[in-house]
Amino acid sequence: MITIEKLNAFGANTAEGLARCFGNEALYLKLVATIPGEGNFDKLKDSIAAKDLKAAFEAAHALKGVLGNLSLTPLYTPIVEITELLRSNTDMDYKSLLDTILEKKDELGRLCAD
Amino acid sequence: MKKLRQITTVKRHVLIVDDEVVNREILGNILSVNYDVEYADNAKEALAALSRQDKRFSLILLDLLMPVMDGFEFLKKRETTETLKRIPVIVMTSEKESEVRSLKLGAADFIAKPFDMPEVVLARCERIIELFEDQDIIRQTERDHVSGLYTKDYFFEYIRQIELWSRDIPRDAIVFDIEQFHLVNEFCGRDFGDRLLAEIGSALKNELAPMNAIACRADADTFYIFATHQESYDNIRNIVQGILTEFFEVNHIRVRFGLWENVDRNVEIEAWFDRAKAACDKNRGDLTQAFTRYNNEMHSRYMFEETLIRDLQSAMDNKNLIVYYQPKYNIEGDTPRLTSAEALIRWIHPTLGFISPGDFIPLFEGNGLIQKVDNFVWNEVAKQIRKWKDEFGVTVPVSVNVSRIDIMDPELETKLMRLLEENGLSPEEYMLEVTESAYCENMERLIEVIENLRKKGFRIEMDDFGSGYSSLNMITTLPIDILKIDMSFVRNMEKDERNLKLVELVAGIAKFLKIPAVAEGVETQSQLDTLKGMGCQIIQGYFFSKPVPPKDFVPFIEKELERRRGA
Repeated sequence: MITIEKLNAFGANTAEGLARCFGNEALYLKLVATIPGEGNFDKLKDSIAAKDLKAAFEAAHALKGVLGNLSLTPLYTPIVEITELLRSNTDMDYKSLLDTILEKKDELGRLCAD
Repeated sequence: MKKLRQITTVKRHVLIVDDEVVNREILGNILSVNYDVEYADNAKEALAALSRQDKRFSLILLDLLMPVMDGFEFLKKRETTETLKRIPVIVMTSEKESEVRSLKLGAADFIAKPFDMPEVVLARCERIIELFEDQDIIRQTERDHVSGLYTKDYFFEYIRQIELWSRDIPRDAIVFDIEQFHLVNEFCGRDFGDRLLAEIGSALKNELAPMNAIACRADADTFYIFATHQESYDNIRNIVQGILTEFFEVNHIRVRFGLWENVDRNVEIEAWFDRAKAACDKNRGDLTQAFTRYNNEMHSRYMFEETLIRDLQSAMDNKNLIVYYQPKYNIEGDTPRLTSAEALIRWIHPTLGFISPGDFIPLFEGNGLIQKVDNFVWNEVAKQIRKWKDEFGVTVPVSVNVSRIDIMDPELETKLMRLLEENGLSPEEYMLEVTESAYCENMERLIEVIENLRKKGFRIEMDDFGSGYSSLNMITTLPIDILKIDMSFVRNMEKDERNLKLVELVAGIAKFLKIPAVAEGVETQSQLDTLKGMGCQIIQGYFFSKPVPPKDFVPFIEKELERRRGA
């Protein structure tokens, strides 16, 4: 089960995330727990693999909003980066950036599952 | 307005449209503090929720990138749907470009992602709801329901706003109305009249938009326009006249315009239109021109009238307004005998000098101030009758004018009775004059009022008889005690056979009704002889005396008392 302490250790700005939830810790943790199962991670990965940058951008953009609202900084920072690159249709190898994102997502997944 | 919102304790409904559960829930958690929150996954679902009649939403929070139907498509649809346009939309976005695009598409505001602190989000939502509710109230009250144009108050307010930014641009005040419009309502019905006004309003709106002008319906059929100066307003005249011709299928119903070009910014806004209206009124019955411009002559007249209006109260307080008395003589016997008097108002202005009643009576009749003047005269007269009664032991009955507006006053009878009571007089000692033209308007009310006054003991004189349009049938049913022949007939009866015949006719009517006929304006012995020959019993005019102040009236009373003693 995810906790504020685990999230702090993960590097999330929980104070900000909680404040955005009006201090409702249960709500905040419930929403954080949905992130590892968030479909847009797969959509991002598949779209990049298929070189569909538009679809990849949509997925990244959606994730950016959600992760920003929860202040999950370790995930949010690379997502902002990839969103901007995809927005400008930058033709590059996204693998390393995508790996960072997916690693962090998996790490969060583990924290939630523990 | 804030107070109104405090009174309405019911929570406003807010709709959050976002495909991301996390965003929806965070926002929902914040907004549910103050609002009743509903959710939609995408714009299509949002439209379905908004089309339901059971709930009125006060705010929509809209994500832009969504599956099925995105936020931009929703905003475009909203722009063309009146009911949706009334609900403000706050867009949730993290893109600068999207902010601009959505504001252009009618969004009221935006909330950035990640969201601001909850207090900020709540404050923004509250502000936008307030703004739209205020705007909605303004939208519903700023327009006149008949014409669709602004109401007078909003019209003046918008001019004030326009003037804040562009006082150096020459602008014109235009007033127009439809001649004899009251007859339109009377003969064609109010619905027809309203349809006509609506048609004019709608045509005006279309015409004025490119002219940089605004308009209102100020009163009944009177319209005001405030426009950037242009040489001619024939375009407006042609449109309005065209509508009139189309409605009546005749072309003699006329629209008349008053215009004050290049308004003077040192004068109050309301006065711009008073002046344009003065020009419009001046245009009455003049078929040769559709437009009358406010000019120097009119300005002098306007200023003069404004001075009179302003100074009326002080004139009463300072006794610049004086009641004069003109004696009335009974000529039935060999020697004329003083029977009564008529009260006539005179105004000696401290700076303007003697002001003709012809200048101020019609002015005050037009604006309702005549009631104030009448009340003043009634008071003065009652005191004077009392004073003479105490001094000489006799009553000199005095007739006072009762204007049309007094007839409509539900307090009339009470006022008169109180006045008599205060001065220890009875209604028989006080006479009331009502002009013939008043009998033609709202006759039922007039007859009712007059009958009540007569029951109390007042005697009623019908003034200026012959100058109005009373039908013979009407005269026989009217409750009157004395008929006064219009002064102009008496003055001209020796010069013009027709006038002589008219005087004869009126004297005959009085005889038929078995009431006395009073002839006013008698100046010569021969006029008096003629009138006596016709059976006219009472004479008033310069032949006996001009109207005089109370102290100069005393000799008439003394002489009458001497005659009585002699007899």
